[in-house]
Amino acid sequence: MGKYIVKRILLLIPTVLVVCVLTFAMMRMLPGSALDFMVKRLTAAGQNVDVETLRVRLGLDKPAVTQFFIWIGGVMRGDLGNSLFQYESVGGIIARELPVTLELGFLELFWTILFSVPLGLWCAARQDGIPDYTFRVFAIIFMAIPTFLVASVVLVYPAAWWGYAPNIKYAGLFQDFRANMGMFLVPSIIGALAQTGMQLRMVRTCCLETMRTDFVRTAWAKGCGEGRVLVRHVFRNSMIPVVTVIGGSVAGVFGGNVILENLFNIPGVGQQLITALDQRDYTVIQGCVLVMAVIVMLINLIVDICYKWLDPRVELD
Amino acid sequence: MKKNRKKTGRPFLRDLFKKKPLAAASLIFLLLLFAAAIFADFIAPYPMTDGAMQVDVFSKLQKPYLFMNAAERESARALLAVSGGAPHWLGTDTLGRDVLSYLIYGARTSIILCVSCCVLSTLISVVIGTLSAVLGGWVDLIVQRFVDGWQCIPAMLMLLVIMSMLGNGIPQLIFALSVPSGIGGSRMIRSAAMGVKDAGYNKMSDLMGGTSGWKMLRHVVPNILPIIIVAAAGSLAGVILMESSLSFLGYGVAIGTPSWGYLISNQGKSYMYVAPWLAFAPGAAIALTVFAANMFGDGVRDLLDPRLKGGVGSYDSKKIAKKVARLTGVLPERVPGERFIHTSVKEG
Repeated sequence: MGKYIVKRILLLIPTVLVVCVLTFAMMRMLPGSALDFMVKRLTAAGQNVDVETLRVRLGLDKPAVTQFFIWIGGVMRGDLGNSLFQYESVGGIIARELPVTLELGFLELFWTILFSVPLGLWCAARQDGIPDYTFRVFAIIFMAIPTFLVASVVLVYPAAWWGYAPNIKYAGLFQDFRANMGMFLVPSIIGALAQTGMQLRMVRTCCLETMRTDFVRTAWAKGCGEGRVLVRHVFRNSMIPVVTVIGGSVAGVFGGNVILENLFNIPGVGQQLITALDQRDYTVIQGCVLVMAVIVMLINLIVDICYKWLDPRVELD
Repeated sequence: MKKNRKKTGRPFLRDLFKKKPLAAASLIFLLLLFAAAIFADFIAPYPMTDGAMQVDVFSKLQKPYLFMNAAERESARALLAVSGGAPHWLGTDTLGRDVLSYLIYGARTSIILCVSCCVLSTLISVVIGTLSAVLGGWVDLIVQRFVDGWQCIPAMLMLLVIMSMLGNGIPQLIFALSVPSGIGGSRMIRSAAMGVKDAGYNKMSDLMGGTSGWKMLRHVVPNILPIIIVAAAGSLAGVILMESSLSFLGYGVAIGTPSWGYLISNQGKSYMYVAPWLAFAPGAAIALTVFAANMFGDGVRDLLDPRLKGGVGSYDSKKIAKKVARLTGVLPERVPGERFIHTSVKEG
């Protein structure tokens, strides 16, 4: 097990390198460089701009390959560089905004699991019953309605009818819990709806498969109660595929939050990324994408380790 | 011979209609949408002229004719008698453009994207997946690290970066949506190809001097075709949702191209309270299409995916009971299905 984890962590290194090269290359392929945007903005503000000095100051005078190695050298020392537009280091921006995105993402996952696992199990236990059909229909509906539509509706109608709107001013989780939840609760539930639809169907299918196995029949025959059979025998043995799907949706949850952050004015990485993309703020985008990718990688690793923990028969190679 | 061929000629479509009525209905819906997209110019009550929707400022933000009461219909008809034209069944937007026509032209955008992304992404994933599996060794290692890295970057971020790299427009969207999903999907194709790589026919092909390309095209791809089709059908729904999300963020189609997601973000969001049809009509169009695509994909998977065939996934206790009864001549009292045992244990 320990050997496997070490091997996986070693395999992360080339993957991180690939991510670095990919993001860097894509940034430099964007039409219009940060320099153009900055010159445009400064001239619009009525300032005299010396393009060449600015180019040297931004470090854009060197060839792209040199720039890449300067950046990657910084990354290895834990320095993601400075934002080209904001007077702040990329590390500082990420340290400020990543917790916001992670909180939204984890809340979303929390609601997804809280809704989908018990309901999926219930649907499987009462296959083709009324709750089964109801929840399955809702699951499919939630999967089909785009998140941004639900979010827009939730933003408009409660505000018009009851004068309610989610907070738009961010407060830290530990500074002001109520204000924080007032901001995150609604978007996280909306984000969780679509995920729940997918997971519920997954949990249901897996549980149905497990319910037809011999050991479940044995459990019934032994005289176990329904609760015990469902939780101890069916549920625990259906967890592997479910964990896989949840692990797979983690990347989507964190990436897909761009829309929710945008609509609910949540100051997370997604918002930052859209602004940075508009300005061609290379270092910020590279830093954000890299950090997000590393987080996704680590979560994937945890999911793989969970396999072994859930099912010791799984061969880790 | 002829008779035999007829029997096995279209088992897939026949099975789809027989066993998966919902998936078949979804297929019909998608085909109708396809037809509407092709013949949009003839179906739409207000067809495009010179590549732009017809604007009519006198009837802007008109309520859907569908939901009008008699008096409102009367006044709407009076207005139409002056301007000429059909009633606005789904209302009009802020420029007086007919929403129904907009949706029909939007279907064109969605269908173009759906079909081309589906084909292109499948092609990409098949090429990467089978190449990686068949060539193996260093190629496999390097390609797989690349795929790993690519997959770790959250999809939405990747799409935003690619779209701002290429600019707005349909060809750009096709590229941006199909390349990432093609690379992501190559995983599944690769593992399927790995499964058939060492099969007897491939070894035989090696012995007879078959090249890697020959093996790929003649042996590996035909043998994993069901999985390829399943993957392609499963990717349909995602394309529509992603396109509308991107258009919603302003990174989608070019301005002027009708798109469901763009209508919601551009007008539906701001006029949600005054003119809810501007958000709900395209929203319903997206939801219905995604629903149909999902159902169709699920149906195709259930019918074609070899991993589900014959396994516990297709277990049907009643059918097995019938089979047992036919074989043994006695009706079994208990069938290995959880409901049976459940009740019998409780009663006993």
